[in-house]
Amino acid sequence: MPESEVLATRSGQRTAAGPSLKPCMPGVLLAVPAVVLVTVVVGGGSAMVAAQSLGLMPLVGRPELSAAAYTAHGGDLLVGAGLSLAIAGTSTLLACLVGFTAALIIMQGRWCGKLVAAMSTLSVPLPHIVGAAATGLLLADSGLLARVFGAAEGWPAIVGGPWWVAVIFEYAWKESAFVGLVVAGTLATRPVDYEETAALLGAGRLRRLRHVLLPLSLPALMISGTIAFIYSFGSYEVAWLLGRPYPEPLPVMALRLYNSVSLTSRPEAAAIGVITAAVSLGAALVALAFLRKIPLWR
Amino acid sequence: MAVTLPPGLSQQASRKGAAQNGLARSRAGGRILRTATAAALAVWFVLPLLPLGLWVFADRWSYPAPLPQHWGLDNVESALARGAATGFAGSLGLGLMVSAVATPLGVLAARSLAFHPSRWSAAVSALLFAPLALPAFVAVFGLNVLLVRLQVPSTAGVVLVLTAYALPYTTYVMRLAYAAHHIGFEEEACTLGATRGQVLFRVQLPLIAPALARAAFLAFLVGWTDYLVTLLVGGGSLVTVPLLVASAASGTGNDGIVAVLSLIALVPPLALLLLMGMTGRRHRGGRT
Repeated sequence: MPESEVLATRSGQRTAAGPSLKPCMPGVLLAVPAVVLVTVVVGGGSAMVAAQSLGLMPLVGRPELSAAAYTAHGGDLLVGAGLSLAIAGTSTLLACLVGFTAALIIMQGRWCGKLVAAMSTLSVPLPHIVGAAATGLLLADSGLLARVFGAAEGWPAIVGGPWWVAVIFEYAWKESAFVGLVVAGTLATRPVDYEETAALLGAGRLRRLRHVLLPLSLPALMISGTIAFIYSFGSYEVAWLLGRPYPEPLPVMALRLYNSVSLTSRPEAAAIGVITAAVSLGAALVALAFLRKIPLWR
Repeated sequence: MAVTLPPGLSQQASRKGAAQNGLARSRAGGRILRTATAAALAVWFVLPLLPLGLWVFADRWSYPAPLPQHWGLDNVESALARGAATGFAGSLGLGLMVSAVATPLGVLAARSLAFHPSRWSAAVSALLFAPLALPAFVAVFGLNVLLVRLQVPSTAGVVLVLTAYALPYTTYVMRLAYAAHHIGFEEEACTLGATRGQVLFRVQLPLIAPALARAAFLAFLVGWTDYLVTLLVGGGSLVTVPLLVASAASGTGNDGIVAVLSLIALVPPLALLLLMGMTGRRHRGGRT
């Protein structure tokens, strides 16, 4: 790592020091390694998955263009898509609410803010599968809460239940810390303290929240919320561990088909992948369109 | 000082100021509300980790008992027997490799975007952020065919895919750092007679070091927290902590082992964060 730092900074010095020193290559080329890598993974990956889903890369037999993989699980696919959207939407909404509140508390500084910042830092670097396992140990019918409240038989089916509560809780828990830290980070880098100015002009607590803090945080909130939404929409392990066998969210269904032994299941898995990717891309584009309407977003 | 302070510095100054003056100071009601909210948030963030902390030391904890009946370290032994050490090494190696590739690539890309704007810049940024909009499992479904046909070793395949997924973060962090990176500091150092080496080591590097550390840490996390890419592309040849947690948690009666493995997943990133916080503070202290 240190070598790369030195190299990077040295070449930067050459370019940053002004027009007197001529760079030895066009600066655009600096981005080439990253661009090539992402093109291979994202471009190559999506092209191949699309080809598989359309029957162009069968495991055996002649390639033949067909949409059979998309129609094979019609009803289940729609139910799965609805379920995935509901889980991702609910958990993202909760994560944004909790995260924004956390960001406000963190921004206030003092010991409260430091405490919340420290606690939210705990959950951010954890793998989601660990979060899911921990949620299981907390909320399952033999979990810590059921033990503490002595609920025995009366404990509701939070894990593996019909409302996917444990799955939504895990996403909301992990993503709220992410949203909170991103929003707090953005608010902290504002050079001008608009809130103080508003207070000076006589704005009360609620007005400052409504007219100063919320608009200032909106871009960061939308970006981190969109990332959280797309992540939970396309994530497998949490719903696999804490969910129920049927109906399945899209990624769980895709993985089951992917690992299944029948010859037609690979294209079907790929088709679900294509649909998941299309919805994710759609969500990203919608978020970008909204962001463009926000005056703060340049 | 004649040069404008970069946001990182001015922000600290202004926050300190805000805490001291009376404008933003709250009344008693607000203070109680804030303390209650902060306490609720702290509970929200810590609650799921609580059973982990208890299960680690629970040799026996049968169902209705609210607390373990026997305390001890049996679970640590069982976790080690299940390959916790191998998993830890695998996770650490994966995180470091992803970080080692994604950080320099992100630095270069950010430098290109910040200092050499061209008609390609918009397309390059859009492309580098594309992984955020593509679920990893979809990319892996497609790439697995490609990687197998090209006979790419499975570990290299995992690093390749995860690096692509780390690049949005490293590029973004470094792009922000370069946006706030004032040439003025370097020019002033030059005016004061600093050599190129001095400018590099005493001005440039200290200014981007925090961002570099953040970028490297985020890239490390992408490797450290991954489950699905390691599972599907690695095909079992690369064992990491998340893989062990998944296999233990999907069985029954492994609660203690799951807790130990989870703790193993939590400690290194936290240690890195603490380290970053401490060195960051020392650097800041040294500069002012």
